[in-house]
Amino acid sequence: MRNQQATQLLFELSRPGRRAARMPACDVPKADLGELLPEQHRAKRPLPLPELAEPDIVRHFTNLSTLNMSVDTHFYPLGSCTMKYNPKRNERLASLAGIAGLHPYQPDATVQGMLQLLYELERMLGEIAGLEAVSLQPAAGAHGELTALMVAAAYFRELGQQRTKVLVPDSAHGTNPASAAMAGFDVVTVKSTATGYVDQADLVDKLDEHVAVFMITNPSTLGMFERRIGPIAEAVHAKGGLIYLDGANMNAILGITRPGDFGADMMHYNPHKTFSGPHGGGGPGAGPIAVTAALAPYLPGPRIYRDEDGAFSLVDAGPRSIGRVRSFFGNVGVLVRAYCYILTHGPDGLRQIAENAVLNANYVLSQLKDVVDVPQGERCMHEFVASAARLKAEKGVSAMDVAKRLLDFGFHAPTVYFPLIVPEALMIEPTETESKETLDEFVAALRQVLDEQVDTLKEAPHTTMCSRPNEVQAARQPVVSWS
Amino acid sequence: MPYFFNTPEDRRAMLDAIGVARVDDLFDDIPAEIKLQRPLEVPPALSEVELERHMKQLSARNTAASESLCFLGGGSYDHFVPAVVDHIASRGEYYTSYTPYQAEASQGNLQVFFEYQTLISELTGLDVANSSLYDGGSAACEAVLMALASQPKRRRVVVAGSVHPEYREIIETYLINLDAELVTVSALDGGVSGDELAAAIDVETACVLVQQPNFFGALEDVDEIARQTHEAGAALIVAVDPISLGLLKRPGDYGADIVVAEGQSLGIPMQYGGPYLGIMACRETFIRKMPGRITGATVDRSGGRCFVLTLQTREQHIRRQKATSNICTNQGLMALRAAVYLAAMGPQGMRETAELCLQKSRYAADRLTENDRFELAFDRRTFKEFVVRDRQGRVTSLLDEAARQGVFAGVALGRWYPELDDCFLVAVTEKRTKADIDRWAECLANSEVGASAVHA
Ligand SMILES: Cc1ncc(COP(=O)(O)O)c(C=O)c1O
Repeated sequence: MRNQQATQLLFELSRPGRRAARMPACDVPKADLGELLPEQHRAKRPLPLPELAEPDIVRHFTNLSTLNMSVDTHFYPLGSCTMKYNPKRNERLASLAGIAGLHPYQPDATVQGMLQLLYELERMLGEIAGLEAVSLQPAAGAHGELTALMVAAAYFRELGQQRTKVLVPDSAHGTNPASAAMAGFDVVTVKSTATGYVDQADLVDKLDEHVAVFMITNPSTLGMFERRIGPIAEAVHAKGGLIYLDGANMNAILGITRPGDFGADMMHYNPHKTFSGPHGGGGPGAGPIAVTAALAPYLPGPRIYRDEDGAFSLVDAGPRSIGRVRSFFGNVGVLVRAYCYILTHGPDGLRQIAENAVLNANYVLSQLKDVVDVPQGERCMHEFVASAARLKAEKGVSAMDVAKRLLDFGFHAPTVYFPLIVPEALMIEPTETESKETLDEFVAALRQVLDEQVDTLKEAPHTTMCSRPNEVQAARQPVVSWS
Repeated sequence: MPYFFNTPEDRRAMLDAIGVARVDDLFDDIPAEIKLQRPLEVPPALSEVELERHMKQLSARNTAASESLCFLGGGSYDHFVPAVVDHIASRGEYYTSYTPYQAEASQGNLQVFFEYQTLISELTGLDVANSSLYDGGSAACEAVLMALASQPKRRRVVVAGSVHPEYREIIETYLINLDAELVTVSALDGGVSGDELAAAIDVETACVLVQQPNFFGALEDVDEIARQTHEAGAALIVAVDPISLGLLKRPGDYGADIVVAEGQSLGIPMQYGGPYLGIMACRETFIRKMPGRITGATVDRSGGRCFVLTLQTREQHIRRQKATSNICTNQGLMALRAAVYLAAMGPQGMRETAELCLQKSRYAADRLTENDRFELAFDRRTFKEFVVRDRQGRVTSLLDEAARQGVFAGVALGRWYPELDDCFLVAVTEKRTKADIDRWAECLANSEVGASAVHA
């Protein structure tokens, strides 16, 4: 039976006088509080926080946790998010005291091991990208996009070129146009073809000397490799623009092809996807960026420097740097996990990640293609996008209904309604860390779901603690805190 | 490789089902001329035993401030982390899940975020909080952008020079590409100058950003700043140290419109700068301009209370270039840590922690300045940090030598404030004992010998 003990809100569980943490007595001579802190600055009453005993806190959060699906407990084919297994060794190693206990302003001489790790990680990410320089500072993929676009802006400013536009395919993730806008660019949308590739005629039409950057996701958000990436990059470069590669889908091409080798000038990684950083219920991630040598001087600082004797230091990034985008060094804990993950795999292992991710996705596609429409065809890279449009037209069943019903079978739902160019999209990314048996069970479940009564689907899920929250009400009269 | 399942037999069966002969055939779409024709040049694979050995070797080449005597601050602190925080945050159901797109499969996370938002509202005295941003610095920047978006005709941003220099640098980086003017008001005597601030705020000003306690640990006259800011019709953004709110007036109670904070103090390890927690709370009027995920309460099909991501039309996945921010992945697990921390501390724990910080930092300041090589740089009320001037002006060698003795004595200020290159910032948390502080003071007082030896 599902245990609901202590799962009311913390504020409902609170009783005056209860407490968990207790601080030690003050062991220094105490000064008068009034003298240290004038009345004007002091709070008039205690903070209105809940009062709880420690066992209650543990039971509360433990029982709540069981209401989540997670990679540790469920198959989680959430497309574009690369929900692969999160290795436990990485958790242990990232919490070594000599790693987790470092203060960001310790003298460089006392963090030589950490700086070496980060320096080596920069080199590894540069090699995997086929690009020269790396900044580990951005805190997530979107932050990496923004940082790289600021780098591009600084580059063109120095060249004295008035480039005001960023081109973004209509299939792109929402962060791409949002980042471009935050970097001060006008966003121009480039169409996709019916099969999900960049519409080259439309691209060429929109390319001019005011275009700073073309942002492309390759493999695309449809899980397809853009075959014509060479000519596309040439066309953009010919007009003096730069290619930004959204690296969210790097899992499909590790060791097989490199963005720098297919024309990218800059890119971000999502180490929380490709390099197994746990997604943490929404984060943290990290968003390291890699760029060409020409763009390196503009990267945010500080930079890690290694002298001839092998000593590491943090150095100023120089006058051409865009400056900081985040305080301190970056999301180091996530980067440490990525480093451990790359070292665990080595060159062959990295390539095998891509091979198994692509194999698993194609296998699932092969087992479903007779029952779902996959507009872009019979093959995919690490993920594919099915469309429930026909189902919707014929039976009134939406992608969301299918997604909700899958939860009843113990599977997390695929990503739905993204990319926007596929109606009723169901984006399925199995990742490499799933077995054929799991994939077979998922396929069987999905096939069964597609055969079920409309009402069963419309009212799904049937087995979860809640079903179909009223989102309209939530947005109309927002209740965003307890009172 | 340790995490794959596919045996040669599985692979064969899967390839047959797909209808291709070899795995390589699945990569046919990638033109041959851009395929990598060699193995990646990364180090060879390590077994778990070897990896652990390697990581321990790297780790041994660091000296952990957490295991030494740590008086470092400036936005990252060696506060106590109760065991319950680590215990809860290490549950796979939390740390291996993702953004709660499917509410029914994520009620645990959603309720935690709702509780986190409520706790942050209670802590700051403001109506609404989001479910996290990247860090204190980018949160401060997002607050500025939110204030600009709320009054689009006003393009001036006024920032106190006593705000964390890295936060100011981030704001500068972001604003250079946007149509907005950044004005920094100097803070020469350890706090923002009231007159200069008053002069800088005008009818073009969208917002004023101050930090309380400021980067130097000192208290600003926030009541007066709030008055000046509001008189000009601008929004007041305050960056706070959440621990200080165990004692100090909540920003919502003195008129802050937006509060941001680095949430690292709330149960998050220092880990060389991240992942941390960007806290943001604001008045309700800003809610539709807020960046990031917001969790809301609602009811489900059968009328039961449940939680969902709400007001998503602000966000990039729906609004694209018109979104209030580009943030997608946030710092959810760090918000969970903060929620567990605040639940464990409660009002009394927060009060005790804040009071210990205050008393101990006062004791430390008194103790160190017994030696006349050192003096407090500013005559200001402080909370847990303060600025010390080394009358001999040898801050770097002083701090380096202390570090060699396992005492991280403070953060040199010269890199951000050239005029303070004979000064360093000291933070004293509740974890420091009287004996720790005495040892720190003695280490600094006795360092002369060492320093001259180094220079000899
Ligand atoms: C294709 C794509 N681009 C960019 C992003 C943004 O990355 P992050 O969520 O790490 O900011 C995502 C992730 O959600 C993505 O799937």
